[in-house]
Amino acid sequence: MTLLQLQRSFLAEVAGDDDTPSRSPGMAIYRNAYRGRLIGALESGYERTRRWVGEDAFDAAATHYVLTHPPSSWTLDLFGANFPETLAVLFAGDPEVAELAWLEWQMQQAFAAPDRGELTAVALAEAELGERDWAGLRFGMPAGYQARTVSSDLAALWRNTSSSGQSSAELAPVSPQRLVIWRKDRQPHFRLLDEAEFAVLHRLAIGDSFADAATAIADHPEAAELLGGWLAQWLSDGLFSGFSVSY
Amino acid sequence: MSDTIHCFTGFGLGLRKEHHADFLRERQSVDFVEVISENFMACGGRPLATLEAVRERHPVILHGVSMSIGSAQGPSRDYLAELKSLARRIDPLWVSDHLCWTGIEGHNSHDLLPLPYTEETLNRCVDSLLLAQDVLERPVLIENPSSYVSFADSTFTEWEFLAELTRRTGCYLLLDVNNIYVSGINHSFDPLDFLRGVPADRVRQIHLAGHSDGPEGMLIDTHDTPVRDEVWALYAAAVRQFGPCATMIERDDAIPPLDELLTELDQARALALAGLTV
Repeated sequence: MTLLQLQRSFLAEVAGDDDTPSRSPGMAIYRNAYRGRLIGALESGYERTRRWVGEDAFDAAATHYVLTHPPSSWTLDLFGANFPETLAVLFAGDPEVAELAWLEWQMQQAFAAPDRGELTAVALAEAELGERDWAGLRFGMPAGYQARTVSSDLAALWRNTSSSGQSSAELAPVSPQRLVIWRKDRQPHFRLLDEAEFAVLHRLAIGDSFADAATAIADHPEAAELLGGWLAQWLSDGLFSGFSVSY
Repeated sequence: MSDTIHCFTGFGLGLRKEHHADFLRERQSVDFVEVISENFMACGGRPLATLEAVRERHPVILHGVSMSIGSAQGPSRDYLAELKSLARRIDPLWVSDHLCWTGIEGHNSHDLLPLPYTEETLNRCVDSLLLAQDVLERPVLIENPSSYVSFADSTFTEWEFLAELTRRTGCYLLLDVNNIYVSGINHSFDPLDFLRGVPADRVRQIHLAGHSDGPEGMLIDTHDTPVRDEVWALYAAAVRQFGPCATMIERDDAIPPLDELLTELDQARALALAGLTV
């Protein structure tokens, strides 16, 4: 048996399900360690989700995920990346479960995401941009920036699951909302945006110039006031890492 | 690239997040800290800022768990590139990893899996380690893991294998005295044979840790308890054999307050001093 053949066989046994018993006490130790380490990574990565669904339901979902999603990255930190998708299937009737898991995952990713700068209002003002510059102004997004649509009241759910012990509060139904995540001052943040604000921010996030992004609300009667207010808020929130001007 | 890692004598701890505040507040009575490399690779924010702040007060060792030099397919070049980037940033005392494999064909177990000690495995480990040292532009320390199975095909003992690995790659050794003890019980060898079998001039660091009782008389390297008396005794023997050597207590679970680990580290200091003055 070659080394590759031996390692294939060994890993298949270590990662196997309970229908195939271990061949020896030593192999059982490796299997227990494998499963325990991966489930532990999910438990520590999804503490709030675990509180929301309860330990038994969470552990069943985690075991299913471990058996169906072999870890592929060199870092254990990425093992749980697809767990929200699994929860969306397992808790199809409770969409807030997968949405809370996604938020929890992205907040942790933002916490340790590679550093980027932070653009302040002062720095932007000191650039003394001319009228033509504003037309070509583009922003970089901050460390950990993510955005998606959610249909659950994640702000309430986040507060509700912040402390130990299972949460049992009922969630009020909400209309679909836009949510963005980013890191400022070494802490991850999230905020819910209305459709108009998100439309402009999203255009900036995908690289459009400020002038092009502004066309997303061109028909709004107070477009200029809205854009000015949002820009001030985004800069205050640390939602841009920097800027460039290109035509 | 320097091929030499000079002796660094001192006593250190594994830096764990439970103690970050202690290390950020003031210099602690350790000569170095060791961190898990993967926890700081390809990341930023508070984790990396914490490491850089601690680095200003203490020498740092980068200790990895995913190099996988024994994998039949060799180590990941992306992994090595990320590790090199971190090493350049931190300027560690040295970089270390394990004599093991962690996965193949895109499946990473995140465990230190055992190897058959054969000529084929030795060739694989030599090629992997030469590649790693070439990419990292520095020699690497290799640690003996605990193991719970052995392979009938093995033609080397673990210490013979390590000795040959050092000879063919120029790597150095990180001896985990607890792992030697645990594997000695699990595979019925004399830990002193292990100590006598490795090249003393290549040993640069010693790990100390706790273990737990497993099934059918086996021991498990759990790193969640204080160092046991039998491991302290083996450490004393190692000090007598290898002389002054960087020594560290490695606690990965059930992390106690820092003072408790510093007290345990004082025990290592006292044993080393006694061993060297006999």
